[in-house]
Amino acid sequence: MHSRSSTSLTELLALAVLGLVLPAAVAQDRPAEREGYFEVRSASTTLADDVHRLDARLQLILSSEALAALSSGVPLTIELQTQVIRSRRFYPDSVDAEIAVRFELEYRPLSQRYLVRNLNSGERESFATLYSALNNLGRIDSLPLIDDSLLSVDRPYRIRVRTLLQTQQYPAPLRLLFFWRSQWQLKSKWFEWSIER
Amino acid sequence: MVYRTLKRALTALLAVAGVALALMAMLLLAQTAQNSQAFNRLHNTLLAVNIAGAAILLVLVIGNIGRLVRDYRAHVPGAKLRARMVGMLVGLSVLPLLVVYYFATQFINRGIDTWFNVEIEAGLSNALDLTDAVLDSRLRDHLLATRQIGRRLSQVNERQLYSALSQFRRESGANEMTLFGPNRRIIATSTDNAAGTLPKPLAEEVILQLQQNRPFVSLDPLADGSYEMRTALLVGGRSANPPGVLLAHFSVPERLGRMAASVETSNTEYRRLVFLREPLKSTFTLTLTVMLILSLLTASYGAFVLSSRLVAPIQDLVAGTRAVAEGDFDMRLPQPTRDEIGFLISSFNDMTQRLAAARREASLGQALVEAERRNLEVVLARLSTGVVALDLDLRIRTANQASGAILNADLENRVGERLSDITGNEPLLEQFAAAAQAHLEIGETEWREQIVLRGEVGRRVLSCACTTLPGDEHRPAGYVVVFDDITALLQAQRDAAWGEVARRLAHEIKNPLTPIQLSAERLRHKCLDTMGEREAQILDRATHTIVQQVESMKEMVNAFSDYARAPDIDIGRFDVAKLAHEVVDLYRAQDNSVRIAVHVDPTMPPLEADIGRVRQILHNLIRNATEALDGRPDGEIDLSVSAGEFEDIDVITIGVEDNGPGFDTATISQVFDPYVTTKPKGTGLGLAIVKKLVEEHVGTIRADNRGAGGAVISIRLPIDDAARTAMIARSPGAAEKRRERA
Repeated sequence: MHSRSSTSLTELLALAVLGLVLPAAVAQDRPAEREGYFEVRSASTTLADDVHRLDARLQLILSSEALAALSSGVPLTIELQTQVIRSRRFYPDSVDAEIAVRFELEYRPLSQRYLVRNLNSGERESFATLYSALNNLGRIDSLPLIDDSLLSVDRPYRIRVRTLLQTQQYPAPLRLLFFWRSQWQLKSKWFEWSIER
Repeated sequence: MVYRTLKRALTALLAVAGVALALMAMLLLAQTAQNSQAFNRLHNTLLAVNIAGAAILLVLVIGNIGRLVRDYRAHVPGAKLRARMVGMLVGLSVLPLLVVYYFATQFINRGIDTWFNVEIEAGLSNALDLTDAVLDSRLRDHLLATRQIGRRLSQVNERQLYSALSQFRRESGANEMTLFGPNRRIIATSTDNAAGTLPKPLAEEVILQLQQNRPFVSLDPLADGSYEMRTALLVGGRSANPPGVLLAHFSVPERLGRMAASVETSNTEYRRLVFLREPLKSTFTLTLTVMLILSLLTASYGAFVLSSRLVAPIQDLVAGTRAVAEGDFDMRLPQPTRDEIGFLISSFNDMTQRLAAARREASLGQALVEAERRNLEVVLARLSTGVVALDLDLRIRTANQASGAILNADLENRVGERLSDITGNEPLLEQFAAAAQAHLEIGETEWREQIVLRGEVGRRVLSCACTTLPGDEHRPAGYVVVFDDITALLQAQRDAAWGEVARRLAHEIKNPLTPIQLSAERLRHKCLDTMGEREAQILDRATHTIVQQVESMKEMVNAFSDYARAPDIDIGRFDVAKLAHEVVDLYRAQDNSVRIAVHVDPTMPPLEADIGRVRQILHNLIRNATEALDGRPDGEIDLSVSAGEFEDIDVITIGVEDNGPGFDTATISQVFDPYVTTKPKGTGLGLAIVKKLVEEHVGTIRADNRGAGGAVISIRLPIDDAARTAMIARSPGAAEKRRERA
């Protein structure tokens, strides 16, 4: 109990400090470094067995700092966020379903392989190169999204998807630091399309 | 006042807002620290709240510094003390804060640095390399074994493949061994897993590696923390067995695997810590820096607030002291505390209360004295007695109206002048000052004297008395001279004396005159015929002289009788111009040698007076002028009667001018006294009677010599009763004479 409260206090102080000073720290990014970017190249859903399944192709380019962290043993979490949005006429659109799939990318120095772990299903796979690991992460095939019976028949629906580098698993001081550093703010724009039924 | 209240309210609002924002920031931080999603959502609010809190503190501190500097330069009371207190308080807080900050940053940086050690790093790296070498050696062994199995499999026909593969797998110690044909089709597989699960698929990377004619080896970490080795190579190529891929899975011995996992984990953790070292140090240093800044700002603002509270009573005291010095004794200071300063303020309030009470009493006394003085002034102003107060250096301190009237001078404007400095065209005042000065300069402070002043209109007799004003024990406060104009009184006494003389003369002389005259006439009548011519002539001349002189004496006695007689005045309204013409006509008929001219104002209103007395006045004046012109062939008399205003009082002015010899300048001031005459004929009572008659009408009379030779007598008579009343008020002495005569 005591340990927890002291940790919270430290986090509080760190958050307070970083909230004030990190804008300055952001400006210290070195221009020669690679910024990295995430992009949803294509995405679509198919209805199979009354389940809408997602197929997507993602472009995941890690920044220099993320690469350095990865090679230092810091695991990266890449999240795929999907929202099923119901369009309404007189009210703001409603998000009827929200699915987030998280993958953890980790470098193992002994085996010199990159481990990709699906944090939702627990499946893991290792790759000899970062390229093949990211390439694997960028291929989303037949990911079940939502049961068609949950969707109203007479309502138009849209689905949008984006991918981002998640930092919430890090300690609070680092989380705030990463929040303000653009190299850790890797997030694609929403890729959106209507469900064809 | 409103501006100051608003400013205070704004400052209080800012302070409350700062505290509220700080609390809000803490709550938000507490929430966001536990929840990353909340942090992402609230980070802008969090940032705004933190910046707003710091900005408010900064604004408050800068505002306080500016105000303190302004007050210090303006020498506002308490500003220097407040500046010293703020300096001390900020100094007392800054020094420990800086020390703590320095040691804390040093401690954190060195503490974090102590987590890392070059030897440990080298050791961990070596351990990793060693483990890698061991595992690599095993991997090479497994690859060699897989190659031998591949060569042996190529000599086995297709029907014996499974059994051969199972045998080779057991011989090599592999967990699983699979032979893939074209299109990744499984030709044969063998596993030690009793469950009989499907063989692991051929990964893309294996095919890519083999397509480059290089065998595939891999060390794969497993989910349970152990490792698995994979080897793969191309086999076959002969006609009996088409080309395929042999994939073998080898497990790492448990102990070796655990050790390798431990080495890898330790190494990874260490490298992760190394990676996080600088961000952590920066974060903590920045945390401490911002906390230092916030603490300094808070301490500075606290120093200002504390010093303000401590200095405020002292500033109040200074302001109160100044107010008291400027005479504001009603000032009461708020009593903030019950400490020594509170006691001091309480004493100050008591002091000002007593001072205020003393001043009220003094003011009351002063008001009483002032009221008494005003009363005295009123009394003095209404007095017909002149009162002049003098300082010790003989400067006029005060003088009442009567003194100015008596001395015919504006004494109120001469207050502050020395008696010796009084000169100019006020002869009465000058003579009075000289007489008073003569006494006072020789140290005669208590004196009484009758002073005769000579002015243009005649002499004035003042009855003066001087005494000292009470001062302290050693010297008086000044002198006061009290004087009365007793000219009229003396004149009245003189008139009364003459009246008595006249009455006695009339009584004592007139009675024997008739027997004398009768006796003389009888003597003449009896003896004239019996005497000889010569004696008869003597008797006739003697008796004639006796009768003539007796007649003359009778006239004289009648004149005395007229002077003494004072019949009741009979006021009526009549035309004075007509009266003037009647009187003049009589004289024109008697004496043609003197030309008498009458000038009257035709619009003149009627005069309210005793017509008999006015006729007598005109008779006497014209007779007086006629007698003065006796023997002069070119004698002229001008009688003028006109209406006008004298000192805002409606009067009828009667003037009689002649071109005779005029008055003797030595006796001109006594021409109205009885038996003062310059003419060979006359009783000497004419002008005295005229003056008496004029004064009975509350009029004025004056005698002057004309510049071109001759005399002029001017009379002013009030035109009606209202004018007479005003005249009496203007000259109180006239009333006395009138009462006495009437």
